[in-house]
Amino acid sequence: MATVNITINGQKVAARAGSTVLEAAREAGIDIPFLCHHPALTNWGACRICLVEVEKQRTLQPACTFPVTEGMVVHTESEKVVNARKFVLELLFSERNHYCMYCQMSGDCELQNLAYRYGLDSWLYPRPYTPLPVDASRTYFVMDHNRCVLCRRCVRACGELVGNHTLGVRERGANSMICADMNVPFGLSSCISCGTCLQVCPTGALMDRRSAYRGRETDVERVKSTCAACSVGCGVELVTRNNHVIRIEGDWDAEVNKGLLCVAGRFEPLFDDRKRVVTPLVRRNGKLQEATWDEALDLVADKLKALGGASLAALASPRVPTETLQAFAQLFKGLQAKAVSSLKPVPDFLAKAEGSLDMLDEADLYVVVGVDLATDFQVAGMAVRRGVTNRGAYLVIVGEVETELADIAHYQFKSTEVDKAIALAKDAEAPVVVYGAGAGGLMPRLWVELSEKARFVGLVPGSNARGALSAGVDGAFDMEGAKGVFVLAADDKVDEALLGKLEGAEFVVAQASYFGPLVERADVVLPTTIWAEKSGTFTNTEGRVQEFRAAVQPPAGVKDDQEILKALAEKLG
Amino acid sequence: MAKVKVATDWLDVCSGCHMALLDIDERIVELVKHVQFTSSPITDLKHPPEDGVDVGILSGAVGNTHQEAAAKEMRERCKILIAIGDCAVFGGICTMRNFFDKEEVLRRGYVETESTDEEGAVPRSEELGKLLDRVKAVNEVVKVDIHIPGCPPPADALWFALTELLAGRMPVLTGDNLTYE
Repeated sequence: MATVNITINGQKVAARAGSTVLEAAREAGIDIPFLCHHPALTNWGACRICLVEVEKQRTLQPACTFPVTEGMVVHTESEKVVNARKFVLELLFSERNHYCMYCQMSGDCELQNLAYRYGLDSWLYPRPYTPLPVDASRTYFVMDHNRCVLCRRCVRACGELVGNHTLGVRERGANSMICADMNVPFGLSSCISCGTCLQVCPTGALMDRRSAYRGRETDVERVKSTCAACSVGCGVELVTRNNHVIRIEGDWDAEVNKGLLCVAGRFEPLFDDRKRVVTPLVRRNGKLQEATWDEALDLVADKLKALGGASLAALASPRVPTETLQAFAQLFKGLQAKAVSSLKPVPDFLAKAEGSLDMLDEADLYVVVGVDLATDFQVAGMAVRRGVTNRGAYLVIVGEVETELADIAHYQFKSTEVDKAIALAKDAEAPVVVYGAGAGGLMPRLWVELSEKARFVGLVPGSNARGALSAGVDGAFDMEGAKGVFVLAADDKVDEALLGKLEGAEFVVAQASYFGPLVERADVVLPTTIWAEKSGTFTNTEGRVQEFRAAVQPPAGVKDDQEILKALAEKLG
Repeated sequence: MAKVKVATDWLDVCSGCHMALLDIDERIVELVKHVQFTSSPITDLKHPPEDGVDVGILSGAVGNTHQEAAAKEMRERCKILIAIGDCAVFGGICTMRNFFDKEEVLRRGYVETESTDEEGAVPRSEELGKLLDRVKAVNEVVKVDIHIPGCPPPADALWFALTELLAGRMPVLTGDNLTYE
């Protein structure tokens, strides 16, 4: 690594050649404040908070965009610099509504922290009091333009990281405003509600509806875990207070998603309004009635023994940790159950993990086959969007699966036209084939034709489907000859098709977290933990084994999946 | 040594900042050994003495002509003027009315409130102060020497500022003494 010798505040620093003054200072442990800069985004130089004095430069320079050169001498907290920063802060504070006492972000605001740091106790500039709108047209978060400092972090996050390019700036100078698309309300725009802008906003301009006013950073705890929404397996930080998850943030350190999340991972889990089952239930005289754990487990054990393995089918959701699925498989294989299946069976052609998500950021042409990346694997979809909109990669969609990604596709082919996609891929430098459960019939041909040329990334349905496969929980569910069915659904939604199959069953056990059609059909209900209450590991679609950590305690009366399976195993001897 | 003369007044205000001043608790006994409180909103003497005081303290924003006059009078009669609280320092919550026309504000306050019957009318007596077009921070009207923000400012910050002045130093707020909420 080439280095450049510079001096910062009298300290000799060997900086990476090509780095900025800000990066060099941070790597040397010297703190230069900033507002518009964000480590995950390109440097912008908009806010002027990071101004530093560079000897032999006529004026102060923004550290975030100024490259280091040999022999450079930098002062980061000289009187001139500090005065300039105070001046910038006074200008920022005087422009819109930055009265902290009625702002949700007060205490966690980067602008406020800077004002405290530089002892801002007043400002003399006129305050314009321009009435600006508050846009609450999105379901999950609110944009208050009055709190915005126009740092453009949100604009860069939307374009550079998500590849969606919804956000922009309209007007000029003091009239500048963040806007969506051609200045439509955010809720009517092309916004996909991934919330990345919310996560990078330094002030109270973007406000999370669910966690607003529910605790500052000093009041909350953070637990790093893995998202259970799909098999991409994004790293998340669960923000909790008083045993409630109040917010979910993307983990910037996570290799899979590097801080990004989608609406299904960031917001939807906190808006689940299904009613929790908090006590075991047993069907007596056709009605589900409350029971003790002993009564419920004894009844299940007796019935399972009486029915015997050959007439017993066991089903588990792949939304639970691998360790739970192992215990599940061990229990029911021990009972000689005729089937130990997954609620989301993995097609054979997806059984082996193939490719890594990193490949998506290197492709110059994507062939997307049989998968809706815009809905089912959104963070992978963002990588494709980035590739197409920021790097000029080509997007070829093959098959009949509908997807909003078609909006930016260069080519769309029917399954019967797969050869056209193959021909395009052969002409590309670094093609990547992204395939999902709907790709079935096309894969053999794609593998044969493109194995030399392209890289393949398989996206498996079911968030911990790979964990389920490794635990031996796989294969299609078969009711043929089964009288008893044990369903470990946990917090997963059970589809109508499966419920139909349960019609003929004599005895149905539901290990479930929420009331719903499955619980209504069950003879015994064992209330179990939801995603935020479980620990273990999840294996993502790439085969990457990731930690899944409980952030909150389950309600009284609810037991963890593994504890239930263990208690049942003991009852069964 | 003669005691340091202090006058206080409140302008467009909820009075919380004066409560914060009382929140210095028993330290006020120590303070009055060195300080003579002259006028204040809660004493009989409402205007600062004509022969002047050493320190003037204003809380609240400037929202009407009476408050503007009170701020100017305090400035003329004191050597060092301290603005205390977010309203005096920044304009604070009072400035929410700056987004509306002042006649609209008066109607909302005197005619359209849920508790007003059909007799409700905007008072127009010449004796009353008239609303300014917009609410201002004190430093938009007169020169302010020391700003102590906070809603209300911490009692410790007020104590710190007064004791620093008594020691002959200009107070510089840091740490917990500097707050915007």
